[in-house]
Amino acid sequence: MIIALELGFLFAIMALGVYLTYRVLDFPDLTVDGSFTTGASVAAVMMVNGVDPVLASVCAVVAGMLAGTVTGLLHTAGRINPLLAGILTQIALYSVNLRIMGRANVPLLRETTVFTPLREAGLIGTWVSVGVMVLLALAVMGLLDWFLGTDMGVAMRATGDNEEMARSQGIATDRVKIFGLAISNGLVAGCGALVAQFTGFADISMGIGLIVAGLASVIVGQAIFGSRTVAISTFAVVLGSVIYRGVIQVALNVGLNPNDMKLISAGLVVVALVLPRWEPVRKWRTARSNRRISDEADLVDSVAGSVN
Amino acid sequence: MLQITEVGKTFHPLTVNERVALRGVNLHLDEGDFVTIIGSNGAGKSTLLNVVAGRHMIDQGSVVIDGEDVSKQPEYKRARNVSRVFQDPMAGTAPHLTIEENLAIAVARGRGGGLRRAVTHARREIFRTELKTLELGLEHRLTTLVGMLSGGQRQALSLLMATFVEPRILLLDEHTAALDPSRAELISRLTTEAVARHRLTALMVTHNMNQALSMGNRLIMMHDGEIVLEAVGEHKKSLTAQHLLDEFSKIKGAQLTDRTLLQG
Repeated sequence: MIIALELGFLFAIMALGVYLTYRVLDFPDLTVDGSFTTGASVAAVMMVNGVDPVLASVCAVVAGMLAGTVTGLLHTAGRINPLLAGILTQIALYSVNLRIMGRANVPLLRETTVFTPLREAGLIGTWVSVGVMVLLALAVMGLLDWFLGTDMGVAMRATGDNEEMARSQGIATDRVKIFGLAISNGLVAGCGALVAQFTGFADISMGIGLIVAGLASVIVGQAIFGSRTVAISTFAVVLGSVIYRGVIQVALNVGLNPNDMKLISAGLVVVALVLPRWEPVRKWRTARSNRRISDEADLVDSVAGSVN
Repeated sequence: MLQITEVGKTFHPLTVNERVALRGVNLHLDEGDFVTIIGSNGAGKSTLLNVVAGRHMIDQGSVVIDGEDVSKQPEYKRARNVSRVFQDPMAGTAPHLTIEENLAIAVARGRGGGLRRAVTHARREIFRTELKTLELGLEHRLTTLVGMLSGGQRQALSLLMATFVEPRILLLDEHTAALDPSRAELISRLTTEAVARHRLTALMVTHNMNQALSMGNRLIMMHDGEIVLEAVGEHKKSLTAQHLLDEFSKIKGAQLTDRTLLQG
């Protein structure tokens, strides 16, 4: 189960990126599948060529931010529907990622990575490495919490919540969306770079279906822990990511094939979306808390939003 | 303060749905003018507000605010000088943000979003003082999500957010129409107070004749994209709802004869 914790907290960085677009900006961004691999590719190729792993990871973040900017421009300047804008960038990135790597897979086993000190000390797969991942995830979470509490962050939240109002209050909503997509994909790519270093390779297919893992973390986490404030929301996302990896690990342990994991992931998201709307669960939740704005309505909205 | 000169706006030009919303409208407001706008549906009242706000770009003419031609300025830039309260009480606030966060957006209006904390101790004090003027007890509920408030409370908050950074122009688009009579009364009173306190220049669209007559120092009636009646100061004060209704039917009648002539 240690591996589920390590991966859960590591992938939480990606999930926080997905939270920023899907929840804060109300923009279901499918760029993620591509930008995750972009981050991994950029970092892997740079490290193979002898660049310091920290610098390589930072460059991966920048590459992801560029990818997010492209999606943002497609949507704002090009007036393309959010889902389609994300898919277009994602597909284009497949080719870009192959160009970056030059082939489908770049192994990193002999390279020095940010995790090399842990690995050499034999601490990977122990509570120490879990602790390192927790610190990483909490640091990113703290940064995001801080940002969403600034004037710019509140403007971003308003843009996702009521765009009309945001514009009438002088917020340049198009710019805000582009910036939000850039930060989100920067986080996702940074996570890709770390995952590549953790698993020891970058692979062209490593990002496929990742958006579902991200959504599962956000939706499951918030269904369980709520979303009353930004701090609760982001914390819920981090824990959601851990729960998601836990479920996957359990599924693997009971003998399911790794190829079945996409099906499990999709199923998990469906359950997390539908269950809160199911009458008995709804009653139980209403009884438990009347203070919160109904999350059910939120989830219904988000489903409707994703379908549109 | 506000010069609207020969402004024309046509929706869906060159299609079967073509509709002329404004036909060379001229309107000049001095600082402190409070103009109420009446007219039947489709007369161009809301379009007039929307071209001032920059939500619709004009086809011809110019909009000048405080000496600056803003005809081509995007909506968010104009928001520095122009603020609005919409008809829909849900439209002017962000439901999943708290009262204090909504107010923080209004306070930061036109300054661009920096990386300073949106809600500080000092700002909270300002919010409390300002919210007290609404007399709705909202000053004790700063961290309540705005989505939990009633329509009237949200509209009062929208009005506060629109006025407390002292915009050059305040646009009110039937902002009491969706409220029950007592709430509408409250919002009207708060509007009059805010306009007087900040000495705002304001344009208010309304369907309520009495409201149009009792509020503001000028009144215009619009029909079919044109201003057909203007009343200022004493003239406005002498008007009654019956006058306005008579005017309405005169215009309608004129239109009827036009049609009859065309058909004949």
